[in-house]
Amino acid sequence: MIGLSYAAVPLYRLYCQATGLGGTAVAGHDSSVVEHMSPIKERVLKVAFNADTHASIQWNFRPQQSEIYVVPGETALAFYRAKNPTDKPIIGISTYNVVPFEAGQYFNKIQCFCFEEQRLNPHEEVDMPVFFYIDPEFDSDPRMARVDTITLSYTFFEAKEGQRLPLPGYSYQPQ
Amino acid sequence: MSTAMNFGTKSFKPRAPDKGSFPLDHFGECKAFKEKFMKCLNENKFDNSMCRLQSKDYLECRMERQLMTKEPLEKLGFKDLLDPPSTTQQNTKS
Repeated sequence: MIGLSYAAVPLYRLYCQATGLGGTAVAGHDSSVVEHMSPIKERVLKVAFNADTHASIQWNFRPQQSEIYVVPGETALAFYRAKNPTDKPIIGISTYNVVPFEAGQYFNKIQCFCFEEQRLNPHEEVDMPVFFYIDPEFDSDPRMARVDTITLSYTFFEAKEGQRLPLPGYSYQPQ
Repeated sequence: MSTAMNFGTKSFKPRAPDKGSFPLDHFGECKAFKEKFMKCLNENKFDNSMCRLQSKDYLECRMERQLMTKEPLEKLGFKDLLDPPSTTQQNTKS
């Protein structure tokens, strides 16, 4: 019995990787939501952007807009920019954070630049897009009734070649 | 953030993006579309709803240059920006 509960963790992780559910499986977390959702035009939200780099990485990393106004149920695009001012290639890997915490479950990134290593050549500068939406369910959640600003923060770390950033909660297993 | 002792408090759990990571646009192939989008944002007080056409154009640029997996635009939330196939002659604009 105890063995089975220990096996549950890696089995669940395999299940999540295979089905692409990733972290916490939240209802409505698949692409059919995007196709069928409708914007809730009266609920305007400000999404503020923050960028951090860990002390060890020498990239210049910053958002290209300090904020953007979105509504739940509508896909939105935003940009960060990263520059490698040094003379050697640097590989970075990023993670992100959303505050307020409870709003994070409604913040869905369709595509971005996080959790996989990104390599910048010497003196290279690139645009880094984030394509996301706020789930329309946000508007029905009474806990979110007074939330009108959501802050998205990305942090870049320097990565070694072939490294993948473990999602918090999973133990890291080199591939 | 959480430490090992904070069993009671919840912490933020990042989730991987639905469609994974964008490849880097090393050659700036879609930079012009990004500039158009950013200009639109600047002119519209950073209201995303006003610049959805430009964001669609940017993503289409990426898809054409193998910088993004090709996907029907409806699946990216742009179905209202596409001309519906209609028997009447009206062109709807969002």
